[in-house]
Amino acid sequence: MKSILTGLQEAAGLVDNGALVTFGGATFSRAPMEFVRELVRQGKKNLNLIDREPAIDFDLLIGAGCVAKVRTGMLGFEVFGMAPNFRRKSEKGEIVTKEGACQPIIAGFRAAAMGLPSLPIKGMLGSDLLTISEVIGSQKQIEDPFTGETMIAVKAIEPDVAVIHAQKADEYGNVRIEGPYYEDVIKAKAAKKVVVTVEELIPNSEIRKKPEATTIPHFIVDAVVETPKGAYPCSCFNYYDVDYEHIQEYLKAAATDQFEQYLDQYVYRRATA
Amino acid sequence: MSAKIETPDLMINAMATEIDNYATVLHGVSSPLPILAMSVARQTHAPDMAYISGAEGVDPELDRIYPSSFDYRHNRNAVAYFGLHEAFDLAQRGELSTMFLGAAQIDRHGNTNLSVIGDIDRPKVQLPGGAASAFLMPITPKVVIWVTRHSNRVFVEEVDFVTGQGYNHRSEEYKKNEIVVISNLGVMNFKNPDRVMQIQYYHPGHTVDEIKENTGFDLKAAPDVAETPVPGQDIIELINHIDPDGVRHSEFR
Repeated sequence: MKSILTGLQEAAGLVDNGALVTFGGATFSRAPMEFVRELVRQGKKNLNLIDREPAIDFDLLIGAGCVAKVRTGMLGFEVFGMAPNFRRKSEKGEIVTKEGACQPIIAGFRAAAMGLPSLPIKGMLGSDLLTISEVIGSQKQIEDPFTGETMIAVKAIEPDVAVIHAQKADEYGNVRIEGPYYEDVIKAKAAKKVVVTVEELIPNSEIRKKPEATTIPHFIVDAVVETPKGAYPCSCFNYYDVDYEHIQEYLKAAATDQFEQYLDQYVYRRATA
Repeated sequence: MSAKIETPDLMINAMATEIDNYATVLHGVSSPLPILAMSVARQTHAPDMAYISGAEGVDPELDRIYPSSFDYRHNRNAVAYFGLHEAFDLAQRGELSTMFLGAAQIDRHGNTNLSVIGDIDRPKVQLPGGAASAFLMPITPKVVIWVTRHSNRVFVEEVDFVTGQGYNHRSEEYKKNEIVVISNLGVMNFKNPDRVMQIQYYHPGHTVDEIKENTGFDLKAAPDVAETPVPGQDIIELINHIDPDGVRHSEFR
């Protein structure tokens, strides 16, 4: 084991322009928001984002002009409405939107995590989404060799980088995710590179007292960044709740011409603070 | 009827009725009505249901709902976590009984659209996306679609895009699975040989004719069409208790 503790700027440097990137969490829970803001500050371009149900993490990057392609099961702000930047740029043709569905995206991560080229799943047949997926080459109809059942083979999804915000890790990248885990462990195993931002660094001696709490072991993690409040304004279980007021402030800014001010206030200013 | 019962509460009660005791039920993203329906069902006729939250808690003691359906506070006192990928495994095994899904458009066969209005490559309106719809719609024994704005722009002759599969877009095997549509005007199902949508219940204060007028295709009433059963005061109090901020009203604005 060697220490892979690093700074946010250096870790964000692992994301190249044009990279296929996924984030941990789901909608407003445990998205790696401070890392996302750092990507904006570094002016990343042409990112190819994939996840089953993202929200403000994807929309912020889209609004800041960092994104070329998006593939999700759903990208919205739940009861608050549509994702404003995603909707606008998708309708203007400024980003390429290839809608997927939650299960094929998860199954694609699982295939990559298992080192398989594809994984068969049920459902999907008869949906127009399958037609899109067949065109882009992410899903194909197959026949199960044993039962003859028609299935959908989902092509493995191997992100260039998966970024997970977790509660705790040691400097070597032994990571503890507390509470809901989403597909974070699967994504970490599927990706070529893994960055973990954490609320709290804990000593390796603590990790060794309770190995069953380690959800991601060090040898699949490339960088650990101590990032308190790293999911804000999303929630981080055991640390803080979602800031729904901030979510609404974001929506208001993005729906009007205030988005640049939002970026100035919450994204760029933080870098110089 | 004495006091007027609000539409969300009528819908939540009707949605809860669709959950059988011993059912294994999952809710997804952006789902305040399903969350409340699952809570009502468990505290009334379905105490033995398995409740899988989209926030990943199993059988949580939900005491309050928040705007995000994945808010971890929805997992209060849960007995376990069960991730979405695990719930999907269950669905593939045929062991997820009931799922709640939305629709921006729905047609007579039960096809739903949550993807785009207009052309997929040049969307007039880019919708958020179908989430689990295309996967779960055909394979789940019972899918309940909730629609808060029953109009002929939502209930259309043909959906612009088939996100979730209706009966004419699924194999014989999956035609036996049930779709129930619960709107702000009534309850529709497909319990007829042709598997086309029919009106089963009209909500108090509404009529079969009103539902037909607000539907963009020829919608017939079931022979035994009736008024939607209303929730008792205890159920209304339960809903108010869990949702004091009125999160359930957000979809009706």
